[in-house]
Amino acid sequence: MNKQSNGYTIIYASVMVVVVAAVLAFASLSLKPQQTKNVEIDKMKQILSSVNISSDATNAQDLYKKYIVDSYIIDKQGDKIEGNAFDVDVAAQVKLDPDKRELPVFVCRLDDGAEKYIFPMYGAGLWGPIWGYVSVDTDGDTIYGAFFAHQGETPGLGAEIEKPMFSDQYQGKHFFVDGDFKSVAVEKKGQKPVNGAEYVDAISGGTITSKGVQSMMQNSIAPYQNFLKSLKK
Amino acid sequence: MENLNLFIRSIFIDNMIFAYFLGMCSYLAVSKNVKTAIGLGLAVTFVLVITLPVDYLLENYILKPGALQWLGDEYKTVDLSFLSLIMFIAVIASMTQLVEMIVEKYAPSLYASLGIFLPLIAVNCAILGGSLFMQQRAFPSVGAATIYGLGSGIGWLLAIMGIAAIREKLAYSNVPAPLKGIGITFIATGLMGIAFMSFLGIKL
Amino acid sequence: MLSKKTKQVLLGPLSKNNPVIVQILGICSALAVTAKLEPAFVMAISVTAVLAFANVIISLLRNTIPNSIRIIVQLVVVAALVIIVDQVLKAYAYDVSKQLSVFVGLIITNCILMGRLEAFALGNGPWESFLDGVGNGIGYGIILVIVAFFRELLGSGTLFGYQVIPQAFYDWGYENNGLMILPPMALITVACIIWVHRSRNKDLQEK
Repeated sequence: MNKQSNGYTIIYASVMVVVVAAVLAFASLSLKPQQTKNVEIDKMKQILSSVNISSDATNAQDLYKKYIVDSYIIDKQGDKIEGNAFDVDVAAQVKLDPDKRELPVFVCRLDDGAEKYIFPMYGAGLWGPIWGYVSVDTDGDTIYGAFFAHQGETPGLGAEIEKPMFSDQYQGKHFFVDGDFKSVAVEKKGQKPVNGAEYVDAISGGTITSKGVQSMMQNSIAPYQNFLKSLKK
Repeated sequence: MENLNLFIRSIFIDNMIFAYFLGMCSYLAVSKNVKTAIGLGLAVTFVLVITLPVDYLLENYILKPGALQWLGDEYKTVDLSFLSLIMFIAVIASMTQLVEMIVEKYAPSLYASLGIFLPLIAVNCAILGGSLFMQQRAFPSVGAATIYGLGSGIGWLLAIMGIAAIREKLAYSNVPAPLKGIGITFIATGLMGIAFMSFLGIKL
Repeated sequence: MLSKKTKQVLLGPLSKNNPVIVQILGICSALAVTAKLEPAFVMAISVTAVLAFANVIISLLRNTIPNSIRIIVQLVVVAALVIIVDQVLKAYAYDVSKQLSVFVGLIITNCILMGRLEAFALGNGPWESFLDGVGNGIGYGIILVIVAFFRELLGSGTLFGYQVIPQAFYDWGYENNGLMILPPMALITVACIIWVHRSRNKDLQEK
C-alpha cells in the first residue's frame, strides 16, 4: 500500500487516535482509586498539621482516626446540619452567600485530653487558590495552630506561606478583640492594622499572597462567629 | 482593573523566561540578532493569544470534572481531565501550522530567516506552559485567559529582544573562551532575571 | 551485548555530547524544578523513562509513519507517555507530583524528546534507540541533579530535605543564601557548569 497516499494517512491517524485513547482511558481508570486515596490522605495530613501533628502518607489515616474524634457540619447560626464534614467542597462553599454555606467543623482530642476545633479555609493568592486549616482552643478565641497551602505561588516569595516560619506565628493569636470578631491580620513588619485586630508579619516580597491569607481567614472564619461565641460561654 | 493587574503581572513578574525558563530552546537559538528575535517573539505572542482562549473553552466545557454538564445531568460526573495534555498540544500544533502558513504567505523573508524554528513553536514550552498555568490558576473568564496569553507573549518578546540586543554587543567583547557563546548568554539571562525581580514590588 | 557503537550511543550524551550543556536542548522544563534535589531527581527519572520508551515506539513504527503527519505522530506518542507518567506519579508519588505540578506536562515540549526522535529514533533500530534514550535521559538528569545539589545545599542548607549544614554554623552567624532558591540563579549555576566543562573539553569552545 502506498505510504504517502491520503487514504493511508487518514487510516493511520484514526488507528493511532483509537489506540492512544484506549491506553490512556485504561491507565486513568485503573490508577484512579489510588489517586483519590492520595488526595484524601493529603487532606488528613493537612488537617492534622493545623493541630501541630506531623504525619506522613503511611500513618496519616491512623493518626486521623486517633485524634479527630468528631466532625460535623454547621450553618451560620451554629446549628448542626446533615452531611459528612470531610466531603464538603470548601472551594465551592466560600463562593456562596454566608447564610447558605455549609460549615465543616473537625473536633480533635489531643493526648492530654484537650479538645481543639478545626475549620477549613479557602481563598485566592497572587496566582491561584490558597487554602488551609486553623484550629482554636475550647474558648473559641485563641488560635492553637494553622496550616496553609497554595497551588502556584512564586517559589521563595508567596510560596513561603506553607512554611512553619509563617504559620507558627498564628499560635496564641486571638480572633476576638473586646468581644468583636476581627480575624487575624497580616501586616508588613512595623505596621499595625487600623481596626485593632491582632496580626502576624507578612512575607517580604509576597505581599499579595500575604494579603490573600488575611482575607481568606476573614472570609472563611467569619461565618463561624456564632459557633465560636457559643464555645466561649 | 483586575485584568490590567493580570496583564502587568504576566509581563514583568511571572515572566515566562525569567521566572519559569519556558521557551528557552528557541530563546537561546534565535537570539543572535534583534530582527529575527522580534519576528519569533511576535509569532509566539500571536500563537499564545489564539491558543489560550481555545484551550480555556476546551478545559471548561469539555475536560474539567463536571464540565460536560451542559450535555445533560447524566454527564455530570464525567472527568476527562487526563486528556487535557493531549488536547492542548493538538490545539497548539494546529495553530502553529496556521501561523506558519500566514507568515509564509505575507512575510516570506521572515519565514526564511526563522527557518526550522517556526514549526518548532509547537514544542515551545512557553505556549504549552501558558495553557497549563491557565488550567492551574483557574482564570475566571475567557477574557482573563486571553489577556494572560497576551501578557505572557509580550513578556517573552521583551526577554528575547533584550537578550538579542545584548548578544549583538557581546560579540565584540572579550569573554573567557569557555564561556563564549552559550555560557555568557546564560549568565546574561540570569542577571536580567535578577533585574526583573525588582518588579516584584509593583503594587496595583 | 554492547558493541563499540552502542556503547558510544549510551555513554556519549553523558559528557561530550550532553543534551543540556552541549546540544543546548531541554533547558525549558529543567531548571524550574531544581530548587530541591528530590523533584529534580524524579524529573530526571521521568524524562529518562519517557525518552527511552518514546524512542523505542517511534523506532518500531519508523517504517510505517506517513511523512506528512510525522511530527503529529511523535507528539501524540510523547503526550500519551507523559500522561501515563503523570498519572503514575499522582498515584504513587503524590507529594512529588504536587511539587512538580505543571512541569510534568511540560516534558512533552522538552526539546530533547523531539530532537532525539527526529535525529535518532527515525533512523535506528529499537535497541539502539532505547540506549540512546537512556543515555540522553541520564545526561540530562546529571545536569539537573548537579544544579539542584548546589541550589538546595546553598539555598536551604539541606539535601533531599535533610539538614546537612550543622546547626553550629548557623549559631556562628552563617545564613542560607536565599538568592539560590530564586529562578535566575539556576541559569548562573548552569553557566558555571558549562564553564568548567568547556575548560576541560577545549574542542567544544565556540569560535
